[in-house]
Amino acid sequence: MASEDEVSLLVIVLDVNPIWWGQQTQRQPEFTLSKCLDAVMVMGNSHLIMTRTNKLAIIASTCQESHFLFPSKHWSAGDGTGDDSVSAGGDGKYELLSVANDFMAEEIRALVARMEVKDQADTLLAGALAKALCYIHRLSKQLAAGQDMTSRILVIKAAEDCALQYMNFMNVIFAAQKQGVLIDACVLDSDSGLLQQACDITGGLYLKIPQRVALTQYLLWVFLPDSEERAQLVLPPSVHVDYRAACFCHRNLIEIGYVCSVCLSIFCNFSPICTTCETAFKIPLPLLKAKKKKVKPVT
Amino acid sequence: MAALSEEVLLVVKRVRQRKQDGTLYLMAERIAWGPEGKDRFTVSHLYADIRCQKISPDGKAKIQLQLVLHTGESTTFHFANDSSALKDREATKELLQQLLPKFKKKANKELEEKNRMLQEDPVLFQLYKDLVVSQVISAEEFWANRLSMLSVEGSVGNNKQDVGISAAFLADIRPQTDGCNGLRYNLTADIIESIFRTYPAVKQKYAENVPHNLTEKEFWTRFFQSHYFHRDRINTGMQDIFSECAKQDEKGLKSMVVQGVKNPMVDLLSLEDKSLDEGYGSKVAPSTSNSKPTVKENSNSAIIKRFNHHSSMVLAAGLKKGDGANDQASETSSTDGNSRDSDFFQPPIKKVKLQEAIEYEDLQSGSGPRMVALNLKKSDRYAHGPVPLQSHQYSTTQDIITAVNCIQHEMAGYKPCLTQVMSSNAVSSAIAALSPGGVLMQTSTQQTMNQLVPSDVQGELKQLYTAAGELLRHFWTCFPVNTPFLEEKVVKMRSNLERFQMAKLRPFQEKIQRQYLSTNITGHLEDMLQAAYNKFHAWQTRRMMRKT
Repeated sequence: MASEDEVSLLVIVLDVNPIWWGQQTQRQPEFTLSKCLDAVMVMGNSHLIMTRTNKLAIIASTCQESHFLFPSKHWSAGDGTGDDSVSAGGDGKYELLSVANDFMAEEIRALVARMEVKDQADTLLAGALAKALCYIHRLSKQLAAGQDMTSRILVIKAAEDCALQYMNFMNVIFAAQKQGVLIDACVLDSDSGLLQQACDITGGLYLKIPQRVALTQYLLWVFLPDSEERAQLVLPPSVHVDYRAACFCHRNLIEIGYVCSVCLSIFCNFSPICTTCETAFKIPLPLLKAKKKKVKPVT
Repeated sequence: MAALSEEVLLVVKRVRQRKQDGTLYLMAERIAWGPEGKDRFTVSHLYADIRCQKISPDGKAKIQLQLVLHTGESTTFHFANDSSALKDREATKELLQQLLPKFKKKANKELEEKNRMLQEDPVLFQLYKDLVVSQVISAEEFWANRLSMLSVEGSVGNNKQDVGISAAFLADIRPQTDGCNGLRYNLTADIIESIFRTYPAVKQKYAENVPHNLTEKEFWTRFFQSHYFHRDRINTGMQDIFSECAKQDEKGLKSMVVQGVKNPMVDLLSLEDKSLDEGYGSKVAPSTSNSKPTVKENSNSAIIKRFNHHSSMVLAAGLKKGDGANDQASETSSTDGNSRDSDFFQPPIKKVKLQEAIEYEDLQSGSGPRMVALNLKKSDRYAHGPVPLQSHQYSTTQDIITAVNCIQHEMAGYKPCLTQVMSSNAVSSAIAALSPGGVLMQTSTQQTMNQLVPSDVQGELKQLYTAAGELLRHFWTCFPVNTPFLEEKVVKMRSNLERFQMAKLRPFQEKIQRQYLSTNITGHLEDMLQAAYNKFHAWQTRRMMRKT
């Protein structure tokens, strides 16, 4: 029996990197952005109908912006009159879901239409996560007295990690950990070290999908249950996370290295001057024993 | 040759040992026996080594004395002098009885310490069992490092605190009625000591009178009977040995009052025992000098004086003797008749105390140690994550344009089609992958090492690691090898390591092999030992080359 007091919020962050998705469409026409969006919609609908008090938000993240697909600015849940332009699907569907889906479709169309060609090829994922956290924070303040909210973020990642967003990413991860927000990750293409760390730190699930076509199934099986229910289920085990640091000179992942005691920058080889803070260092050489003079016998 | 400089306490002739006639000598620190006609001693034992002595029962024909040493050995002496054998043996026995306890403590103490350490620390005990009992290293080596710990602990234990005096010790001696109009006081040694420490005058009297004039019992009976002890100390002029004590106490109290308190912030004289009578203090209080002190007031003031004196004596006795003497000396010197002197000393002390009260160290703006400013040239390095600098898939501008156009084209006519999201084939393969045993669930079947290896094997492994760690620590601290002592030690440690490997590690490995545990849990231990062997080998070859 779902009580009125427990609210579960799911925020889906979808990576809509046009370059990756454009190339994906060319590589594998069975699985395009449309299909992905359908899968996300099914996931969102499922979450909404699990419990009446469940809430949903969907954010699409592109190279230029992060935009809320749902709930959009026109969305007002308690609006009984409704817009005439928005019509129920006519297939007897739960009206909330059909209206939501329509809104989502409208927003994504508008979003893709205003995409521009730019040099930057990286998804603004850290920004999208930050927006998600802010949304969660806002909703948690709007709760009625006595209501509890548990929230989680599901990241559906397509393109590769962006190294420049590292600091922001880590800040977001630690903020989520402090807030008690789980970050789950569903990775479509290549493994992402940052998301692995995020899932490990916040207690979420990380999954790299072998078959993109069956995305919906994976989402429903693995990511639909919330954290309490997950404890009762048999889900894919957590991966081993590579927490090795990268040296500042070559960006190689190293296990043993040299750390400058002044600026804490990591190097893989010893150099007498730290290149970051220009401090000079000396390694003490082992003391050589004074050689004993050999006394030659006088003949 | 027996050392003639030793003090010989007892000589017993005609004592047989191992069926040989000879003479037994008891010296200051050892007992020795030499055969008849020869000058040297064949048997010699230090008293410290002797654990106990035994004598044969009285009824037996042979009159013997046996010495049992700490190591477990025993030596038997047969007193064969026909006339005085029994007497000889008794004399020897008594002398030994007196001497042994003196030396016993020294030897036992170390053993006791060691035993205590072993009992308190189970890890140490296990290490001891592993290394010494199985003869990998000898007991002396084991204790060599740890004796430093022994001595430290011993000194800590010796500084016991002196027990203080309970302020109510006199009251605790509750007299019990003896049935017929008498009172029984139970005096223990503690109470007697407290009385002596608090009232040195009584101690003096005791020293003077006991045991010459009075027995202890009489002394204490008189003490309790005397009015000195009881409440109303009115000097009736009786011939009481304790009446002097009362006078001494008065003198002591007066001198204490004169001394005053050292703390310059406290002014005891301004305190007065005035109560607000009628008129709330506005009326002038009648001067007390006119009225005669009544008997009741006298006895009240006497009681209060006694209480004060008692408390001050208890406090004074509680101070450590050394400190007490110093304090007394400094106090008397500063407040001695010379008033100028005392005035001179007072302001600085007062000033210091006032300063301490006003100032706080951390609130002062002190200049801390000079710091060097951090000067970062390339601070953007920190912002780069642990992502290797691989070349990303380089997309040409054309590619980008194509991709964006493609997407835009596709999404322009996007309509969600939720009834045909996926095919059943795809779904069933996904479900298969997610079910236990599927592709994605592989790692969960892998059990951690923790679960595979049984706990007793784990425990044994831990013990092996502790023992190996200890040996390796001894080995590695020998380097760099500077002294011949270290050279010997290195060689010895290497042989110890080998012995350890043979005696402990190999059987363990065989055992786990028999249990079909395929995991290699001793690999790291072997690596560590091998590294030690390599280092030793390298050092040895270098030494050989230097010698040739």
